[in-house]
Amino acid sequence: MTQQTEFNQELVAEKALVAREVVKVYKGSSSPALNGLNISVNQGEIFGLLGPNGAGKTTAISIMSTLLRPTRGSITIYGIDIVRYPNEAKKLLSLVPQEIALYPNLTARENLRYFGRLYGLRSQQLENRIWESLELVGLKERGDERVFTFSGGMKRRANLAAGILSKPRLLFLDEPTVGIDSQSRNMILEKLALLKNTGTSMVYTTHYMEEAELLCSSIVIIDKGQSIAEGNPQELINRTPGCSSLQDLFFAMTGKSIRD
Amino acid sequence: MFKLYATILKELLLLRRDRAGLLVLFVMPAVLVLVVSLVQENVLKTIGGTSTRILFVDKDRNSLVETIENRLREFGSLEIIKELDGQKIDEKSAREAIINGDFQFCVIISEGITEAVRERARQLVTRSLSTDDIPLKNDIDVPDLVVYFDPTVRGGFRSAVVSSLNMAVLSMEIREKVRIFSELLPKQMNKIIQEAMDPYVSEKIVEDIPKMSLDWSNQNMMGIKEKPAFSKDFEKIPTSVQQNVPAWALFGIFFIVVPMAGALIRERQDGMQMRLLTMPVSYLTLLSGKVIAYVLVCLIQFIFILIIGKLVLPFLGTSTLEMGSSPIAVIMILLSSILAATGYGIMLGTIAGTYEQASMFGAISVVIAAALGGVMVPVYAMPKVMQEISAFSPLAWGLDAFLDIFVRQGDIKTVFPEILLLLSFFVGTMLISWSYSFRQNRTGI
Repeated sequence: MTQQTEFNQELVAEKALVAREVVKVYKGSSSPALNGLNISVNQGEIFGLLGPNGAGKTTAISIMSTLLRPTRGSITIYGIDIVRYPNEAKKLLSLVPQEIALYPNLTARENLRYFGRLYGLRSQQLENRIWESLELVGLKERGDERVFTFSGGMKRRANLAAGILSKPRLLFLDEPTVGIDSQSRNMILEKLALLKNTGTSMVYTTHYMEEAELLCSSIVIIDKGQSIAEGNPQELINRTPGCSSLQDLFFAMTGKSIRD
Repeated sequence: MFKLYATILKELLLLRRDRAGLLVLFVMPAVLVLVVSLVQENVLKTIGGTSTRILFVDKDRNSLVETIENRLREFGSLEIIKELDGQKIDEKSAREAIINGDFQFCVIISEGITEAVRERARQLVTRSLSTDDIPLKNDIDVPDLVVYFDPTVRGGFRSAVVSSLNMAVLSMEIREKVRIFSELLPKQMNKIIQEAMDPYVSEKIVEDIPKMSLDWSNQNMMGIKEKPAFSKDFEKIPTSVQQNVPAWALFGIFFIVVPMAGALIRERQDGMQMRLLTMPVSYLTLLSGKVIAYVLVCLIQFIFILIIGKLVLPFLGTSTLEMGSSPIAVIMILLSSILAATGYGIMLGTIAGTYEQASMFGAISVVIAAALGGVMVPVYAMPKVMQEISAFSPLAWGLDAFLDIFVRQGDIKTVFPEILLLLSFFVGTMLISWSYSFRQNRTGI
């Protein structure tokens, strides 16, 4: 092993996530869903993965969170090759899906208890984590109520609580604030900022550009499976003529025509 | 192991809170067992599929009636009932019991029948032994033996019962004729010999004529052996309880495919599967937890149905469920049937795109498999083609195995092929599910 290779591996290990030349071609599809995507997420960073509908965001999240195998390319999470060692990678990551991925007939606490056990948490440690997670999302008092009785905002917060329960080093958030009230949305954004301060790295997808502008220190805008802009949001805005916000930049990059 | 335990616990908790699911799993098979067993028990009564209880009203109270009664008892398939609720039955109450459908037949023995039969027999024998042309007197009128029957009783069954009564009456008449014949023959001979020979000699001859024994009058010389001509091994036909309890219990067990597939689809649609698959737990552990939880639920469900067969149905007037003498075989059949059902549920939940698809296809396919498997109509009563098709239904394998133990007194060796088939079905469905999931994971389709 050369010194240069060792140096590169150390660099990769320091990164929360590194995706290189990731290609995904679905069977029967003529065009790739992802076509040479490159992403690099630093530790403790909130990274925005933006793009119009059908750009490949969900495919990218699915591959990076070990749900799908890439056709080509490599992905590492804290230096672990997730294609070769998915089980090792899974111990470091957590996913907050766009859907309310909770059992509606169980209470919030029962849901978290089950997920906690799957992460290997037990007894007092498990109960403490449940308590911390519920408190963080403001559901400490409602933890023993069944999820189906919750409002939309409460469900979203409980969904987030399930994602942070294991104290993941890398958290994937797939539109975590979609369709909820302003207060819950504001609370979720505040809590994500808090998590960032504790060193949790995040990959964040959203259609709300102001959220990405507020939260993310780096973003990538993808379209047709390829990266079309990458960097610090403010720098990207400043670099692009006629853009005063991320929303402007997004339209400038992807156009205003509706994508279905 | 801890993750498996957590998954089992979660599934059980979810099932406990799923009232509709519990209704499907417990109440539906219980109601089906009760209703169908009772209905079939009644049908079997009207076609002679069960032992027949006959009300017997004896107004004559004489010795010849006892002969009829004993002869009827000897047939074995008829049970003579002479009292209801500790009270002697009269013609009116017997007719009411028939009208109410409590009994299917009632035999009324008219008063004076014994005396009339004896007189008639004497008249016939006397006439047959007479050498003279005795002037014809009026025949002695013997009262009819009346049989009331439930109008729903099928013609063939009615004929069978009436034939049995005819045989009993005929047997009694032969006995009485022989008795009178043996009584009159010496007198008649004495009379003839006295007329032809010396009176002293003739008396000596008559005294030496041996008394005739009557035992032979009831004895058949030729036996009739009944053998059902089935194409397969249905040497013994189950009672409605023995048929329906395992049949509908299996139906209930296989109906878990609906809530099970539904749970899997909901997990997939709600993003739950996505979340679970990003956790450090294998898909095999998640599926195993689900399977074990449903196995436990199905075991409880089966015990529940057995209690109905053992306690509730007999209380409602059917026969008690007999379970054979091989509990290990019963447990093995049960476990392999449950595994086959859970495997099918997982396969359905993996392949079906929506809950509606799974619930519709799951329910219909189980009903078809149940119909083919002999749950609704016993396999031996099906046309030959359907019997051959039924060999492909997992419910037929399970039911046949249960009937081997419950009815045909088989053991674990007898049911080994069926157990093997059920376990193969489980392995096959799990492999299909796994390969489908694997393909989805690899290709995203």
